[in-house]
Amino acid sequence: MIAFENVGLRYGHGPEILKDLTFTIDPGSFHFLTGPSGSGKTSLLRLLLLSLKPTRGTVSMFGEDVTRLDQDRLLQMRRHIGIVFQEFRLLDHLTTFENVALPLRVRGQSEVSYRANVEELLDWVGLGDRMEAYPSLLSGGEKQRAAIARAVIAKPDILLADEPTGNVDPGLSERLLHLFEELNRMGTTIILATHELGLLDKFGYPRMLLNDGEMIIHE
Amino acid sequence: MSEGIRLGFSRPGPIVPAQSVAGRTLMLLIGIMTFLSCVTFGGVLLVQKSAVGWSADVGREVTVQIRPVDGEVLESNIRLVISLAEAVPGVASAHALSLEESQSLLEPWLGAGLDLSDLSIPRLVIVRLSDPNAADIARLESEISAIAGVSLETHAAWRVQLNTMAGTIVVSGILVLALILVATALAIVFATRGTMSTNREIVDVLHFIGASNRFIAGEFQGRFLMIGLRGGAFGGLAAIGFFIAVGTAMGAVMADPSSAQLGFFFGQFALGFDGLLGIAGVVMVIAGLTAITSRLTVRRFLSQLS
Repeated sequence: MIAFENVGLRYGHGPEILKDLTFTIDPGSFHFLTGPSGSGKTSLLRLLLLSLKPTRGTVSMFGEDVTRLDQDRLLQMRRHIGIVFQEFRLLDHLTTFENVALPLRVRGQSEVSYRANVEELLDWVGLGDRMEAYPSLLSGGEKQRAAIARAVIAKPDILLADEPTGNVDPGLSERLLHLFEELNRMGTTIILATHELGLLDKFGYPRMLLNDGEMIIHE
Repeated sequence: MSEGIRLGFSRPGPIVPAQSVAGRTLMLLIGIMTFLSCVTFGGVLLVQKSAVGWSADVGREVTVQIRPVDGEVLESNIRLVISLAEAVPGVASAHALSLEESQSLLEPWLGAGLDLSDLSIPRLVIVRLSDPNAADIARLESEISAIAGVSLETHAAWRVQLNTMAGTIVVSGILVLALILVATALAIVFATRGTMSTNREIVDVLHFIGASNRFIAGEFQGRFLMIGLRGGAFGGLAAIGFFIAVGTAMGAVMADPSSAQLGFFFGQFALGFDGLLGIAGVVMVIAGLTAITSRLTVRRFLSQLS
């Protein structure tokens, strides 16, 4: 599903942030992406989200070399990928329901067509009674669950999560991880960036360890 | 909405929040620019209408001047000129100004109350044309040239000068209008860039969840089109109010018979139906300019991000 081959990335004329990354991610797998701060985790996630192009090497997703795709095709491919951020990035002027429904709305779907699905998903993540609340009234855990719901509402094939447990307490972190496991069981490929060793140890999924731009994979 | 909770299931909230667009300032700016554009347009229209009116009035008559010449009977020559003129095709009528009327024409230069009976004042025959295009002025000129001391004035030079002056004012007005539109477009570009920078977070989130540049541009363009329409309507209504107020004030001044001459020369300060249509057109042009300029700016901003 995802194949990196000798991928390197640098910003402008700066040093190489990612060096010679070569790995593959199978469909339906679950990987932790870990490493110290500044090791390049977020940059790698941005490559996976197709919001950056590598400065060298090739990145293939869904069987296509994404470095050669035009904007329209990139947009179509990006719609197969969901993203969850550490800082949630919900839009403050929209309700929880509207935030979660946003990916369907930007695809041109009408509210009538998606209302039931969004409500069902919000129930599933435990936000059934917070649908009309604005993000400013949600707790950290609720915001993160809303962000996860927004990332999966359009049924992406790949779900990327950048430190999704960084702003919640340890108990909630585990519950969120179980949520990701549940999504993975339903067939979504998950790459979850975290540097919480406790979670890595408790959930024994393969680890992609980034250090100074280089990667070692522990299966 | 209360305490951050929205009750009921109304239509989804706007993706670009209204308060995040620098709406009021931009709307005021567009309103002022529309007002200036409409006033310029109205002014140009009034000048053009007056010039066309003057030119048509002047073009509908020619003047024959008959100077006293020794050995010629002035009154006889006047009657001859009138009869010759009335026989020319396209001439409606011809009549001579009386001696008193001729003398009164000199009053602005010589002053009133002078005894001009000792002066040999030329006499004028006013020839009114029923159809200026069909009138055979060359034939008239040819026939009266045989009479001693007679000359024909068609006012052509004056009309050319008048049309040139009016044309200069119209061209200047169009130039001013174009400059105002350019300034408006530039202001919209800067306001749009500022808005996009302020809303960068929204743009990023929309990109991440798979929104196309076209979709994002459409969301922002909708906001700017509304601002353009409201600002344009405000400016257009203000301009109509301005013309009504000035027209009313001019009407009050021109109640005085001596001031009515001003009206004759400078025209009435009334736009008419075509003027109102023109102002509506200016409003639509500015609203459209706002929408197009903001869309292009947003698309450019988004393509730079991509």
